[in-house]
Amino acid sequence: MKPAPFAYERPRDLPAALAAMASTDGVTKIIAGGQSLGPMLNLRLVAPDLIVDIAGLAELKHVERSGDDLVIGACVTHADIEDGRIPDVTRGAMQRVAAAIAYRAVRNRGTVGGSLSHADPSADWVSALSALGATLTLRSATGTRQVAMKDFIVGALESVLASGEMIESVRVPMMAASARWGYAKACRKTGEFAHAIGAVLIDPDAGKARIVIGAVEAAPIVIDEALELFGGRISSDFGRKFDPRVADALLAKAGVTDAADRHIHVAVLRKAIAEAVK
Amino acid sequence: MNTIELTVNRRAVNASVEPRTSLADFLRDQRDLTGTHLGCEHGVCGACTLLLDGVPARSCITYAVSCDGADVTTIEGLDDDEIATELRAAFTREHALQCGYCTPGMLVSARDLVKRLSDADEQAIRVGMSGNLCRCTGYVGIVNAIKSVISARRARDIAGEPDAGRKLLGPVGSGHKAWTSANPTAAMAAPVEAASAIVPLEIPDFTPSTVLEQSFDVAHPPAKVFALFDDIAAVASCLPGASLTGTPTPARVEGAIRVKIGPISANFNGAARVESDPVTLSGRILGVGRDQRSRSTTQGEIRYRVLPLDNGAATRVELSIGYSLTGMLAQVGRSGLVRDLAARLIAEFAGNLDRRLSGGAGASAAPAAELNGISLVFGLLRERAVAFARRLSGKGGGPA
Repeated sequence: MKPAPFAYERPRDLPAALAAMASTDGVTKIIAGGQSLGPMLNLRLVAPDLIVDIAGLAELKHVERSGDDLVIGACVTHADIEDGRIPDVTRGAMQRVAAAIAYRAVRNRGTVGGSLSHADPSADWVSALSALGATLTLRSATGTRQVAMKDFIVGALESVLASGEMIESVRVPMMAASARWGYAKACRKTGEFAHAIGAVLIDPDAGKARIVIGAVEAAPIVIDEALELFGGRISSDFGRKFDPRVADALLAKAGVTDAADRHIHVAVLRKAIAEAVK
Repeated sequence: MNTIELTVNRRAVNASVEPRTSLADFLRDQRDLTGTHLGCEHGVCGACTLLLDGVPARSCITYAVSCDGADVTTIEGLDDDEIATELRAAFTREHALQCGYCTPGMLVSARDLVKRLSDADEQAIRVGMSGNLCRCTGYVGIVNAIKSVISARRARDIAGEPDAGRKLLGPVGSGHKAWTSANPTAAMAAPVEAASAIVPLEIPDFTPSTVLEQSFDVAHPPAKVFALFDDIAAVASCLPGASLTGTPTPARVEGAIRVKIGPISANFNGAARVESDPVTLSGRILGVGRDQRSRSTTQGEIRYRVLPLDNGAATRVELSIGYSLTGMLAQVGRSGLVRDLAARLIAEFAGNLDRRLSGGAGASAAPAAELNGISLVFGLLRERAVAFARRLSGKGGGPA
């Protein structure tokens, strides 16, 4: 349970971090809070040659309003969000998601950017930020690019991050006053990774709904215009219009072959929608 | 070795640590502070929980080198702490410990809850303590003890402090010292694998622990597809990440499959044998492989059956993929994930196969990319990775 030896660098700033990532021919990993990578290192599932510690970089803990959006640095922790140490544009939605991630001791070190980079389909931020319509800024030595959260995860533990590239920040759009948010997950034990996640952002006034069925052991199912799930139209009675058969069909199409698994996912989605109704 | 300066239980400490040394190991082995216990060593059990910059953190998945400049408080440093003193009395009164192994971590997490919760809500306490596992006494006494301390303090008008007084952003323990670099070059060349030395001699029959069914269609007649399955080198060339060594015969094919899933990579060296039955247009490939780095062994079996479609113009290939995995990579299993993965990989394999059958240069010219294998091993490994991540601290936040 001890990691294989690795070299360690704690760069002074972001450009130095990007340079350090490119400095070796061997395997380089970034570490921030280490709450996902640490266990993998200890179990020697990962044995990098060099670890670049970005947890101290002020640039990555920067949080700012940009118009109506909130831009959150990658090294902001779950506890920072849970405790309200950063502003909120989601009317408390992110705070509630953060508070239910793993355990407090993990939330005190685990970061938003690290969790997303790890790309576990069952991680809360993967589904929640997809539903919130977040965009990621990815930075490499050659520049930055923007990727919508829903396009970021390509499979279990696989994201679009290229070699030498890291998440710099997460841009979260302001939630409309008329929008309703619901988030639910199924865990057998509190704090463990979810077996099913439902995240919904429904705006009856605008007639719009985005739903996410997450923790499907692959990239989450994100439906941007989820009218079909609600009988073709989003109105104030969306809770009653929810059609579980459509959700079931979506899951089947996504390759969830086990009917019991689909049932759990649909039940959790229903729970998220019920929360949005309240 | 890296030099770090930190405060441990209010005393300034200078030390030299290897980057891979966890904070827990540093405290126990170099500082003789053995009150910090190690249980699972991957962030699940909570035994190693201590205070980092005044709030709880897992010292088994926090490396000492990243705590340069941090303020560390272990259970030994809480002797005179007011809340900890009240908690110790309550734990004694409520019989909140038996063997005591989890107790240091329990007390640290409990102290945090006493600070943060506004009232002694049992559900909130249970959720708050869910990251600390006890295997003997049970949780009733622990929860009662915490409840009593919170109630007593709130009755004395000591209010809860939801953020436990933390004002800085970012991972606790980090960000105190700007810059360091540890001899990256000298240290650590990964051990070189001696591939030939570890190819298994026997290819035994086995009962797979997991079996997946998959199928795909190709626009070529069954006989042609079946013939291709008999051509071991051709099948291998369609298997992403696979390479053969020596001259393959149906009785013994030696080679390797290189796989990479997220941050995990492995190189399984092994051998396989192939059996086929031209009468039923079916067969099986049975293999065994070992990844030296993770000391993991996999056994796999692909049973295939070739069925005519469209009056023999096209073919459905039915695969039954069974596998077992032992060793470090084999602690948990999640068949759903493997199934999802296998589906994507088989699509890739089918594409390669189709190109090969069509006489395209693509599949034969270059080995398929290592990232998209049909190989059992690949699926297994990915299953490991995610299952594994699941056992960890939860959906936490570390880096990729």
